[in-house]
Amino acid sequence: MKVGKIVNLLSGASYERLQGAIDTSNLRQKVIANNIANADTPNFKRSDVSFESMLEQEMDRNSSSLIGNRTDSRHFYIGPKSGSMVSPQVTTDETTVYNNNLNNVDMDKEMSQLAQNQLKYNALIQQLNHDIKMKRVVVEGR
Amino acid sequence: MVLNISNSFNISASALTAQRLRMDVVSSNIANAETTRGRYVDGKFEPYRRKMVVMQPYQEKSFANALQSELGEPDLGRGVKITQIKEDQAPFKQVYNPTHPDADSNGYVSMPNVDVLKEMVDMISATRAYESNVTALNASKSMFMKALEIGK
Repeated sequence: MKVGKIVNLLSGASYERLQGAIDTSNLRQKVIANNIANADTPNFKRSDVSFESMLEQEMDRNSSSLIGNRTDSRHFYIGPKSGSMVSPQVTTDETTVYNNNLNNVDMDKEMSQLAQNQLKYNALIQQLNHDIKMKRVVVEGR
Repeated sequence: MVLNISNSFNISASALTAQRLRMDVVSSNIANAETTRGRYVDGKFEPYRRKMVVMQPYQEKSFANALQSELGEPDLGRGVKITQIKEDQAPFKQVYNPTHPDADSNGYVSMPNVDVLKEMVDMISATRAYESNVTALNASKSMFMKALEIGK
């Protein structure tokens, strides 16, 4: 039992959330890079990654939603699963036109999103490092 | 994970290649703006025709990509590719210059359908696109370097 706890040192809910956010940031980097790469491609439509808004929605739902009362462990679970991971979605904006060649990549927007994503990624890594450092303090006892 | 990061490198790299090729084509057009003997057709010289690139989103059908989409990974674009270089079919400019060796019986010379102004605009556009892709590549690189700091 204790061994299991030590092995699971780095697999708490906050780690999973951080990992999800870092993966999303990675995915977003890829999507933005692809948008920038195709900035001059006729008929290309930009894509976007939605994650934060979905996570927020999910967490809101968790706090204020109906949960079925279970009197037996074999009963079905009713309501949103707590701590369920939201996975990022890639959506393509097919409706707008920005350039004459039916392309809708706005370079200013893409570049600002690129910078924003980079900063967010750095912040997440910093947070992850902080968490690991805390665990290290516990392990080393100083 | 490593595959994913290198993928964002590849996306930007494909765009760098494409923009560079576009720049090469622009250079060729400007260099040949006065070339009257571009091609020999039916015993007559035809002037140089302006060339244009055709860009398309890159959709590679490889095993790795097929596996990724089967594993439920979202299907992303994989960069850009120049699929062909087309010739501008616009008519040649007719310039009156009877002493020119390629002048016809009326004294007119067919000059290439290259508009240097258009080429300049295309060149600036390619330069800017190249720069923004370098920025994206640098961003990916710095993210990757940051990831190497995890647990330090």
